[in-house]
Amino acid sequence: MAYALVALGFVLALNAAGAVNFAHGDHVVLGGAAAVVAGLWTGLPGLLLLPLVALVLAAVGILAARIAILPLATRPPEATFVATIALAAMIEQGLTVTMGSAPHTAPPLLGAGAFEIAGIALGRQPVAIVVVGTVLVGALWFLLERTQVGRRMRAVASDRHMARAVGIPVARYVVLSLALAGTLAGIAGLLLGHQFLVAPTQGAGHMLKAYIAVAIGGWGSVLGALLGALGIGFFETFVSATVGDAWASAALYVAVLAILILRPQGLFGEPAGRRA
Amino acid sequence: MRALDRFWLAILVLVPVLALLVLPPFGQRMVILVGIYALMGAGYQLVFGQLGALNLAQGALFGVGAYSVALLAPSLGAAALLAAPLVAALLAMVVAGPMLRLQSHYFALATLALASLVNLVAVHAEGLTGGANGLAGFTASLPRGPVLLIAVWLCLIAAIVLQARLLAGRLGVQARLLREAPLMAATLGIDGGRWRLAAFAIGAALAGLAGAFSATLSGVVSPEATGFSIMVLCLTSVVLGGARHPLGAVLGAAIAVCLPELLRDLQGAWLLAYAGATLLMVLWAPEGLAALIDRWRGVAAAPQVTAPSLEILPPARGPRQLVLDGVTKKFGGVAALQGVSFTLNRGEIVGLVGANGSGKTTLLNVVTGLERADGGTIALDGTRIERLPPHAVARAGVGRSFQTLALAGDQRTTDIARAVATGAVFLLLDEPAAGATDRERAELARLVDRLRLAGRGVLIVDHDIDLLSRVCDRLICLDRGAVIAEGTPAQVRADPRVRASFLGLEQDAA
Repeated sequence: MAYALVALGFVLALNAAGAVNFAHGDHVVLGGAAAVVAGLWTGLPGLLLLPLVALVLAAVGILAARIAILPLATRPPEATFVATIALAAMIEQGLTVTMGSAPHTAPPLLGAGAFEIAGIALGRQPVAIVVVGTVLVGALWFLLERTQVGRRMRAVASDRHMARAVGIPVARYVVLSLALAGTLAGIAGLLLGHQFLVAPTQGAGHMLKAYIAVAIGGWGSVLGALLGALGIGFFETFVSATVGDAWASAALYVAVLAILILRPQGLFGEPAGRRA
Repeated sequence: MRALDRFWLAILVLVPVLALLVLPPFGQRMVILVGIYALMGAGYQLVFGQLGALNLAQGALFGVGAYSVALLAPSLGAAALLAAPLVAALLAMVVAGPMLRLQSHYFALATLALASLVNLVAVHAEGLTGGANGLAGFTASLPRGPVLLIAVWLCLIAAIVLQARLLAGRLGVQARLLREAPLMAATLGIDGGRWRLAAFAIGAALAGLAGAFSATLSGVVSPEATGFSIMVLCLTSVVLGGARHPLGAVLGAAIAVCLPELLRDLQGAWLLAYAGATLLMVLWAPEGLAALIDRWRGVAAAPQVTAPSLEILPPARGPRQLVLDGVTKKFGGVAALQGVSFTLNRGEIVGLVGANGSGKTTLLNVVTGLERADGGTIALDGTRIERLPPHAVARAGVGRSFQTLALAGDQRTTDIARAVATGAVFLLLDEPAAGATDRERAELARLVDRLRLAGRGVLIVDHDIDLLSRVCDRLICLDRGAVIAEGTPAQVRADPRVRASFLGLEQDAA
């Protein structure tokens, strides 16, 4: 479910920017790091830190949009790729310098322990992740499909020239999308940070999984990204149970290469046609 | 890419010579390292700089080269340094062949997945790669010290001089077309697939060679050699130095190697500064540092190529007839072309008219191979061409121009000139007169006359039926994807169905 949040943020940023945001994975790590630091200072449980982390990462998203995405809007997408890769390296190195490269644990959402439902023990953290994730996905769906702001965001995503022509302040909505993407990434970082720890070098891995989810789910499709992320989660869980983590990842990459080569339009097609 | 001038050539030669004469072993080691990163970067310039493809596997191919030399040196000796780039290039060609057709974002992802795969193998295939500990103790037969420095820099100088020389001419223009206008490149007869594969393989070989040298220098190979940080270093140094400047990779590599020494007290901060500098470079000087230096030196940017003259046209040789027979094309449920048949002879000017959406541009796309016909045949003197890729159609003798509504006179002529210059016997002109002034129309009519005299066959698509009636021998009228009339301009204009479907508009206006 946390993958889904990462992938959703990724696809929002992708649609708004018209190019891959390579720093997205590092936003996730940054979210985890913010949770670690805030947890150390305040000692509060994750659930109360969540709004704080969300705010901090929204600011980071705005910053990313202002320095690495908006100024490059008129250039080929490769320019944005490079700029965000540089941004990602800056975040990673910045975190390494300030936190050290050793992993840290983010505070749990509701404290450790397990619920017992009908005789089956469920860890509190996984349950909390699923609940928070579902709520956020629902909220995002409502925002995009049921509000004027969401309609405008989708308009900017599908055709920014047309959106500008009908009077939508495009730059403002790009920044808003990136802020939202940052928020989702930050919350995902907080959720993942308890179970899987937080280390500066994780960013590339998060980014790659979101990238894969979006590519197999159909480029730019929000629903596709959600399904893709859940698919990757299941794939990893089942395959790693049989052959171990490393080879599960290897199998995932091989599968992705095969999909890209055999079905270059993604598993569910590419509704928006050519886009880069 | 511009040819290498004396200033840069002197730097390229002086650095290793001075290093050998003046620097202590530690300094020489740094110069070797610069050469290694520059080699990897020079390979990367081909793929990323020239073709604009964001290849994220260059770092992994560097690692493949490093592991190859570590595994092969005990048995092959110094020849392992030659084998390593071959292994990397082979891997790149086998895996990348099918990936090269992907669009930019999928290409980036595919190369990233490939890189992650290589990294996983390096870490986990312990029998082959030694796992996290890596491999060591393979350098006994490999060059070291000054010999290594000479070897690295000789390879680098050779790579840069060759690349600059090749790309200064025709190949450089082809690369630019492929990067900026891939469709036009294809219709001019440039085989993009082969070009990309070659660039990717050469780039991979250079990365492999760099990796091999790096393993030789350090004496150990660990999974870090395949890691993403090498890739980021390669990408940022090429962007910082200049992705399309002959010396860009060298400059970027020099900064990447020297910066950590200058900022040694700040530990990890040098990478932070380096990434920050790259970001600033992308924002404000996308041409890179080397190009900035050129500007300070007062060297002019690449010279403008003047459009070829269309006054004198050599007589065309080649096929005599372009024959379409029952060509159909469907988009989803819409039949864009329904059994279109006609013949275009050499020395003949045919006009193709029809309302918007009647299938005129689709027809040109199908003939030139940009779209694949669903049925029917297209042939040049009996040689079928309907299944050929666009570049092969162009080489067989069919050239085309594109709709250039937004362009002013000179650029419009250039677009046609480009198609003419391919030497194509048959020219398909898509709305050459749209938005043109009266003088430009007269110019166009004269050009078409000259093409006729030079024995070319011309098919002109346009809305201006008066212009077409004046310059064309025959007119063909399309309506909803089917030919509804064909004959002399007078016959076609008199046809009642043509009047209903197309000229009706004109009568209203008149």
